[in-house]
Amino acid sequence: MVQSRSRTAVGYMVLILFLLLILLPFVWMLLTSFKSPLEISQYPPTFIPERFTSGNYHDAFSRYGFAGYIRNSVIVSVASTFCVLALASMAGFAVARLPIRSKGALMVALLVISMFPPIAIVTPLYMLLRTVGWLNSYQALIIPYTAFNLPFAVWILRNYFLQVPGALLEAATVDGATVFQSFWRIFLPLTRPGLFTAAVFTFVAAWTEFFMALVFNSSDSMRTIPVGIALFSGQYNVPYGTIFAGSVVSLVPIVVLVILFRKWIVSGLTSGAVKG
Amino acid sequence: MAVHQTLLSGTVRSPSRRANLLRNQRRAGYSMLLPMGIVIAAVTLFPILYSVWMSFNDVHLTTNGFALSFTGLANYRVLATSGVFWHSVWFTVYYAVVTVAVELMLGMLIALAINGVRRLKDVSLVIMLIPWSLITVISAQMWAYIYNGVYGVFNAILQALHLIGGPVTWLGTPGLAIVAMMVADIWKTTPFVVIVLLAGLQMIPDEYHEAAYIDGANRWHAFWRVTFPMLRGSIALAGLFRILQAFGVFDLPFVLTNGGPGTATESLAILGYETLFQNLHFGTGTAVAVSTVVMVLAVCLVFLSAFRSMVETEGA
Repeated sequence: MVQSRSRTAVGYMVLILFLLLILLPFVWMLLTSFKSPLEISQYPPTFIPERFTSGNYHDAFSRYGFAGYIRNSVIVSVASTFCVLALASMAGFAVARLPIRSKGALMVALLVISMFPPIAIVTPLYMLLRTVGWLNSYQALIIPYTAFNLPFAVWILRNYFLQVPGALLEAATVDGATVFQSFWRIFLPLTRPGLFTAAVFTFVAAWTEFFMALVFNSSDSMRTIPVGIALFSGQYNVPYGTIFAGSVVSLVPIVVLVILFRKWIVSGLTSGAVKG
Repeated sequence: MAVHQTLLSGTVRSPSRRANLLRNQRRAGYSMLLPMGIVIAAVTLFPILYSVWMSFNDVHLTTNGFALSFTGLANYRVLATSGVFWHSVWFTVYYAVVTVAVELMLGMLIALAINGVRRLKDVSLVIMLIPWSLITVISAQMWAYIYNGVYGVFNAILQALHLIGGPVTWLGTPGLAIVAMMVADIWKTTPFVVIVLLAGLQMIPDEYHEAAYIDGANRWHAFWRVTFPMLRGSIALAGLFRILQAFGVFDLPFVLTNGGPGTATESLAILGYETLFQNLHFGTGTAVAVSTVVMVLAVCLVFLSAFRSMVETEGA
C-alpha cells in the first residue's frame, strides 16, 4: 500500500515535469511573439516582455503573407481530408464487407506503400506537375496528400466496418437496396468514429507536411504555413517576432482539433498496436 | 404437383440467385476500390517505379517537359565514390538510431512512471498530443531561436548556472549541431511514444503483475517477463513509425542548420533535395532517393526481425 502510494507520487512528479518540458518552448514562443524586435535580440533575454506589443501580429498579417499561408493550408488540408474520406470509406467498406478477392494482399500492399518516404515519388511527380503546368496550384498538394493518407485511412475504416454486422448488408439487399445505398445509408453513419479518426489524421498530416509543399508550391502566393514559415526571412536578421506571431495563430486550429478529437487520435495512434 | 414444382424450381433458382448476388457485390466492391486504386497507382506506385527508372538515366529539363538518356549505373557510380553521399548515409543512420533508441527508452521510462497515476487527466493527454500535431518547421524555428548563439535563451540558462563561460554557437559547431537537432527531435516525438506505450500498458491486466510478484519476481524481472512481452506490439509500432520518420528527416535540418555547418547535418533527404531541386541533377538525385528507400525498407526489416527474436528470448 505504502509502496503503491509512493509510486503514484513519483508518477505525478514525472508527469508534471514531462508536461512542463513539453510546454516550456511553447510558452517561450508565445512570450517572444509579444516582444519588440529589439527585445527579441537582447542578451541575456528577458522572460516576461518588458512592454507587450501586438506589432508582430500586425506585421505577420498585414505586412507579410501569413493570412495567405493559413488560407492555403486550410484549403489544401480540408480538401485532402474530404478526398481521403470519400475514397477510403468506399475502399474500406469493400474490403471489410464485400466478397472481393485477395483482400489480405491488398491490405499488406497498402501497408508497404505507406512506408515509402515522399522523396521516392517526388521527382516524377514534379516532372508531371511541371509538364501539365500544375506547379504552384492547390491540386499539386491535394492529390499527393490524398494518396499518402489513403493507406492509413483504409486500415482504420476497414476495422470500423468490420464491427458493423454483415447481416445488415443482406437485410438491406433483401429490401431492394443496392450495395452503394447500403454503404451510404446504413454502414457509413455507423462508422462515424472511424471517419473522425481518419479525418483528424489526414488533416494533421496535410497541415504539417513540408517537403512536397516546398517542392511543388514554393511561389509566395501558394505557400502553405510550413513553407511560409521555413522560407520567411528578413533583410539582416531572422524576424523571429513575426515568425512566432504567425506560428501562434497557426497553432490555434490544430489545438482546437486536438482538444475536440483527443479520444479518436489516441484510438488511431494505438490501433496498430492492438493487433501486434 | 404444382406445389412440388415451385418448391423444386425454388431450390434450383436459389443458388443461382445467390451466385448472382455474389457477383453483383463483387463487382460493386471492385468499383468502390477503383478510385483509390487509380489515385494510389498514379501518385505512388507509378512514380516509385519511374524513380527507379530515372535513377538509371541522365535527366534534363526541357522547356515544357524533360528528356531521359539511359546511362546505366552511372548515377550510382557517382554516389558510390562521393564522400558527401556516404557522409549523409552515416549521418542519417546515426541520427535515426540515436533518436529512436533514446525516444523509445525515455518514452518507456516516462510511460512506466506515469502509469502509476490512476486517472490521466484529459489536460495531460491534450498537452502530450500537441507536439505530435505541431508543424515541425515551427518547432524548428522555436529551437533555432532557443539555440541562437548570440541571443539564445539556452546559453543564458547555462551561463546563469555557470555551466558555460560564454555563449556557445550550438548550431554552428558540427558535433553540437547534431546533438541540438536530436534534442529538438526527441522533444517533439517522445510524447507520441509515451502515448502509444501508455495505451499498451493500460491493456495489461493487473493480475499478471500480481501473479509475478507472488511468484517472487522483483520489479526488474516483472518488467522483462511480463510487461515487455505484452508491450511488443506497441513498441514495434512506435519504433517502426519513428524509424520511418527519422530516416526521412528533412524539416528540422532544413530550418535549423540547412544541413550545415558544412555538411555535418546533411541527411539523405536534404542531400536528395539539394541534388534534385537546387543543382537540378535529377538522375543523381533520384539515385539518392532510391538508395534511401532501399535502406529504409532494409532497416525496417532488420528492426522487426531483431525485435521479434529479442521478444522471444526475453519472453521465454
